[in-house]
Amino acid sequence: MAQMVETLEQQHKTDETALITGSEAIAVACKLADVDVITAYPIRPYDTVMQYVSKLVSHGELDCEYIVAEGEHSQFEIVKHASAVGARVFCGSSGVGWMYAMEALTVTPALRIPMVAMVGNRALDDPGAFGVEHNDALTVRDLGWMLVWVDTAQEALDTALIAYRVAEDRRIFLPCAISCDGAFLTHSQALVKIPAQEKVNEFLPRYNRGDLLLHPDNPITVAPQVNEDWVMEIRRQNYAAMERTTAVIKEAYADFERIFGRSYGNPFFEEYMTEDADIVLMGMGTLSIPMKVAIRQMRKEGKKIGFVRLRWFRPFPAEALAKSLGRFKAVGVVDRDYSFGSPYMSGVVTHEVRTALYSAPGPKPPVLCFICGLGGREVTLPDITRMTESVYQAAEGKAQPLTQWIGLRE
Amino acid sequence: MSEVDFECAECTNPVEPFLRSERMPHIWCPGCGIGTTVNCFTRALIDSKANLEKLVVVSGIGCTGRVAGYLKLDSFHTTHGRAIPFATGLKLANPKLTVVVYAGDGDLSAIGGNHLIHAARRNIDLKVICVNNLIYGMTGGQTAPTTPEHATTSTNPYGTFEPGFNLPHLVDAAGAVYVARWTTFHVRQVARSMQEAFKKKGFSFIEIISPCPTLYQRRNKMGDGLDAMKYYKQASKVKNGAPTGEVGLTKTGEIAVGKFVDRDRPDYRELMVHRFHESLGDEYVETGELVCS
Ligand code: SF4
Repeated sequence: MAQMVETLEQQHKTDETALITGSEAIAVACKLADVDVITAYPIRPYDTVMQYVSKLVSHGELDCEYIVAEGEHSQFEIVKHASAVGARVFCGSSGVGWMYAMEALTVTPALRIPMVAMVGNRALDDPGAFGVEHNDALTVRDLGWMLVWVDTAQEALDTALIAYRVAEDRRIFLPCAISCDGAFLTHSQALVKIPAQEKVNEFLPRYNRGDLLLHPDNPITVAPQVNEDWVMEIRRQNYAAMERTTAVIKEAYADFERIFGRSYGNPFFEEYMTEDADIVLMGMGTLSIPMKVAIRQMRKEGKKIGFVRLRWFRPFPAEALAKSLGRFKAVGVVDRDYSFGSPYMSGVVTHEVRTALYSAPGPKPPVLCFICGLGGREVTLPDITRMTESVYQAAEGKAQPLTQWIGLRE
Repeated sequence: MSEVDFECAECTNPVEPFLRSERMPHIWCPGCGIGTTVNCFTRALIDSKANLEKLVVVSGIGCTGRVAGYLKLDSFHTTHGRAIPFATGLKLANPKLTVVVYAGDGDLSAIGGNHLIHAARRNIDLKVICVNNLIYGMTGGQTAPTTPEHATTSTNPYGTFEPGFNLPHLVDAAGAVYVARWTTFHVRQVARSMQEAFKKKGFSFIEIISPCPTLYQRRNKMGDGLDAMKYYKQASKVKNGAPTGEVGLTKTGEIAVGKFVDRDRPDYRELMVHRFHESLGDEYVETGELVCS
């Protein structure tokens, strides 16, 4: 017995390494964060998280209330209310499942609920497709959700811990959705460092809702009807909370580095081979995998090209990104999404990048949009070569279509 | 417009003219019961000489949801849980259609559960075929609202503890006029019930207990598709007219089958027309079939 206690204590203190998928990494983060209430409803590819969470709960490794709800709408409603009474919560979905929960997704940030959710990014129906597209998570981009895209299982685990830390910070109290590309990340395994529980406890304080706690001893009304008398002031509070997120995210990453001894550098976006680059391509999520391979290859051919991977989409790191992108002669944004009828029919990420860049002082290189890899279609090396060629042309001042669909069947 | 070609020379099976062979192979696993139900359905169409020009199949999402895409009939693969609202719209717009809802237990009783009870309450003239595999199949075998207590699923590795729905009881209580349950072992009875439902005016519900060897049978050590047939044969007991409150399912116990409810009451359209006649008298002109040019 004494030996067993010692082993458990040891476990508590040491990091471990495991071969796990992105979804499993998220489930492990739930365990480390000691989440209190989890709800689920099956939809691919998010459903993989459910299985891992179920195992942890059934094996007694995670002490939490776990319900498979009767649909995504009730799934998100249940955790929303659990959070209001002080429980740390986890939830998630994919594609149209996420859309079906939209009413709950809308009220969650408005009620300042620090829910952490995982979106296993998937194409919206119709037509039916299981593969990745980013329009699902992007639908909440204006509502007060923090949105972050990760590209490895390790980053999924770490970011989930960071997400709890930031969301539950009293200065913030906003929900955070972690986007994991369907299949490419949710289902693929990689070696992941699982941090010791002791370190996680140091990094992540208990959720304390303070005077906003819904409790018989603290009689408050949540979500009253306020009409035009108060709506603007309440919206403004959300605006102010979102404004504070940038600083709190920076703090969290700095503490993460101090406690876990691993660093992500700039929390908001990753730069790959950009130091001497003439042009860059940009995108989110697992796009980094083919991108990095292609860039290494093109570098061998003497092309000075780099890649920028955007992690945090909300808050959008406008100033920092504008400063960084201003260094290059041209930028190509790869959108795994669409925004039909929007300016120049470009994708969502492109619009944000253009606004960030063109509203800031300093150089304003051309920004091309490439719609690519929709519905889980692979982004191939020839695709990337085509995009690069076009960005080079733009860098030389030759007019290029502002939006191009790449990898489309001829 | 139905494309079924009964004269089909190359067809080797009477069911074949109903299938979109270009979409084969289908996605269903070996031993799965959904294909058997489709076989019964096509036989019911043949035997009842159903007018295929006036028949529509609406399905939800999931393994059973794929039926709509495989049938060479007017069909719609709608959003998850929304097969009944879609079918309701079809029936209201075009009352002369025979509208069949072909969906799984997850689609009909979980995410679409609200629609199920309201359509039964209103007595919308729909023929609902519910293939019940006791689990969410397509997404990996999670506990569904129909999973019997103690069954092992991917979300309850040590057995479920939530009570499952007794679907015949639910729709009976909500007002369905025809309620039957069979298993995929009872192919003739299934086809016969379908024919009865085609003729019945109002909300008809046929539950077909169907094996999911891949996720339900395997996790519960209940063998393959053939073992499921043996179990259905041995455990089923015909209980026509049984009070539906007594036909709930357990993991390994008796499966009450039969026609539980067959009654008449005015359907939604009849009630609506009656009400308008009452209040508007001769001014009310009943709309008929929707004519699409
Ligand atoms: S998963 Fe189950 S229900 Fe789905 S096709 Fe396979 S056997 Fe049938």
